[in-house]
Amino acid sequence: MTYHPPHITRLAAESEGAPDAELTVAPKSPRDVASVLHHATEKGLKVQVWGGGTRSGYGSPPPPDIVMSMERLGEIESWVPGDLTLVVGAGARIADIESKLVGENQTAVLPEVPGRSTVGGAISAGASALRRGRLYGTRERILETTIVTGDGRIVRSGGRVVKNVTGYDLPKLSAGAFGSLGVVVSVCLKLWPLPPAGATVTVDGPDQASSVARPLAILEENDSTRVFLWGTDEDVSAMSGRLGGDSADGLDWPADPSGPYLWSVRVPPALTSQAIGQLPNGWRYLAIHGVGDIRAASDDGEGVSDLRAWAESVGGHLVVVKAPTDSLDGFDPWGSPPAGLDLQRRLIAEFDPARIINPGRLPGGI
Amino acid sequence: MTLLSDLRQTLGNENVLEEPLELYIYSKDASLMRGEATFVVFPQSAEHVAAVVQIAGRHGMPIVARGAGTGLTAGASPTEGGIVLATTALNSIEIDSDNRTAWVGAGVINLDLSKTAAPFGLHFAPDPSSQSACTIGGNVANNSGGAHTLSEGSTTSHVLGLEVVFADGEIVVLGGQAPDAPGLDVKGLVVGSEGTLGIVTRALVRLLPIEPDVRTLLLDFPTVEAAVTTVSEIIAAGMIPAALELMDQRMTIAVENWLHAGLPVDAAAVLLAEVVGEREGVDSQASQIGEIGRANGAGDVQIAKTEEHRALLWKGRKSAFGAMAQLAPDYYLHDAVVPRTKLVEIMRTIYEIADRYELTLLNVFHAGDGNLHPLIAFDASEPGVADRVHKAGEEIVAACLKVGGALSGEHGIGLEKRDLMRMAFTEIDLDAQARLKEVFDPTGLFNPRKVLPDGSRCFDFGGVRREVPEGAWI
Repeated sequence: MTYHPPHITRLAAESEGAPDAELTVAPKSPRDVASVLHHATEKGLKVQVWGGGTRSGYGSPPPPDIVMSMERLGEIESWVPGDLTLVVGAGARIADIESKLVGENQTAVLPEVPGRSTVGGAISAGASALRRGRLYGTRERILETTIVTGDGRIVRSGGRVVKNVTGYDLPKLSAGAFGSLGVVVSVCLKLWPLPPAGATVTVDGPDQASSVARPLAILEENDSTRVFLWGTDEDVSAMSGRLGGDSADGLDWPADPSGPYLWSVRVPPALTSQAIGQLPNGWRYLAIHGVGDIRAASDDGEGVSDLRAWAESVGGHLVVVKAPTDSLDGFDPWGSPPAGLDLQRRLIAEFDPARIINPGRLPGGI
Repeated sequence: MTLLSDLRQTLGNENVLEEPLELYIYSKDASLMRGEATFVVFPQSAEHVAAVVQIAGRHGMPIVARGAGTGLTAGASPTEGGIVLATTALNSIEIDSDNRTAWVGAGVINLDLSKTAAPFGLHFAPDPSSQSACTIGGNVANNSGGAHTLSEGSTTSHVLGLEVVFADGEIVVLGGQAPDAPGLDVKGLVVGSEGTLGIVTRALVRLLPIEPDVRTLLLDFPTVEAAVTTVSEIIAAGMIPAALELMDQRMTIAVENWLHAGLPVDAAAVLLAEVVGEREGVDSQASQIGEIGRANGAGDVQIAKTEEHRALLWKGRKSAFGAMAQLAPDYYLHDAVVPRTKLVEIMRTIYEIADRYELTLLNVFHAGDGNLHPLIAFDASEPGVADRVHKAGEEIVAACLKVGGALSGEHGIGLEKRDLMRMAFTEIDLDAQARLKEVFDPTGLFNPRKVLPDGSRCFDFGGVRREVPEGAWI
């Protein structure tokens, strides 16, 4: 057993669904987070940051020594609807936040069917909303971050305004970084107003959506293609009339497909249909046309090597989102290493010198 | 070999400038600060850029990348001397209309990209007021915005990939057409880094479909407050117009005298609003904006009836800086941002500061996102005035930060606002940024002493850094 000093053990907590570890802590402040990380760096202990546990299958991390639950760091610090900004703790559940925002007809444009996932978790995993083709990905919503680096520094960057070029853009670097530069403890997000009307139109195929210049989303699943529209009443009824399909009021967002194996296929936008055609038989999928983001589920890993080879040959990626332990031996969770991997390593070393925060999550085993 | 002969041998004599007058021209951007270029080079390819970076490294000579020189913060001024690398010849455009993207050379002019994309029904969303002159490389360096930033985001939201030459002279391609490239978003960090992390040679940008229809409105208001309230109520009604631009009376008069666009010079504030989308939607949004405006006291609501009328209204807005020339030979401009709900309060403060320093100040700004552009008109030859202008500028920025704002919304930090960074960030915050810079550029080759104030690296326990040897290259 590793010795943990009292100022660390006083943060011990149970966290529902969290993986087993020698110590599970639930810090209450950025300073607490800093103490835990500082301690972990000194002792060389691996820390797994725990949000809602919905995206914990990425990469190939070693078992953690400490699990750090973010559940006590989920307060709204400020929300000024007129400024379109929300400052919130990373541990806040997306579902809770969005249900509050809707009271002022606003959204943070985070994933629509979030389950238990948290703001910090979605940011760290780089998970975006299905509306990303029209409203851009989660990365574009991040205006300010406060992170705690591996060696315990509390670093704020960006600002609480919707437009800002003051200094290097560290906030956006948090998206998809799996906390490797520092644990995200709070963020300022750019909000978006919800227009009065929305509709979901079932169409024969994605090509049928071409009569609408910029729909909110065109989503294809195994058995249907639907176009999501929003705007003024006049806007929505005109667009749905032009589409000519079966139209229902409101936005009926689907959940990502589920199964023992989850995959993310990422291809140039125009190749979305082709990518769907490449999926092995029996896979369930949810594809965002115009983006090239295909979320898929399967019962086994058959055919993934061919799929990855194809995806990479067209400039895309096949990423393992979740797989049963040891089931994909020798199959890299991320695929071919990205350009500038050494630069990424050196960047992370400046922020997490002992590489204790979520090690092994990133490409190249970083 | 000397630096000059190295450069000439690699790039050819015609692509290296060394005459004093030529160097003088390239020693300044559109800010007030002048540097001193040692040489100016015109690389013809990314390989040329890589060679220049290696040569510069060997000779310990800094490199300052330069697009069109429209920058307002001395970001492209070689204030520490060095090679000015002009991106003019990096001017290729390859459009992929199926994927709605384009690979664009750093030296391509912003508006030329949209013009080239127009036959495909596409355009590049970031549209700085200088878009007929400024380059994509400059837009990437400064993470430029423009009038349409509120609805579509700044340049960073439209850069999917970058070809960059880093300090070791390697050409690296980051990102791509597929979304969410695995690993850290290094490309995103390079955007907005003002040429301090590497030299961008090409950018893979997102193109948006040209909207089917557009309505442009001009509303005049009896008070600035009424205009600002209107902006808030438009957004609260669930609309994000493509643009919400505000001019105060002094600016409206200056523009009207110059342009004769029929602007309402009696109004305390003029709001230019633009909505885009499907025809049915833009009509209903335009009438809703008109109603909100009238309810707040708008006297007249003009809706552009023809494309010429629309172009004229926009020309009024985009010519604001040009119109300054009739008031005074020089102008000084900040682009601080405030939370939108603080606009009325900050406008009062800004006028008060200008009056106290006895300066002529005009306002034209992106009201939708709270990005101010207070312009101080002055004559630099008047003794003592430059000092007053700078002091007033600093006070304005401090006031913006005090209400929760930011130093710069779209122009960048450069040299001009570098020392103000301490007002916005703690030592630890700045140290983190300095570490980033060091990872990319350990010897301080790229655009030295820009963005971060000196001494930002506060926890530097004796790390070895090579000093740039002065005069060593000749």
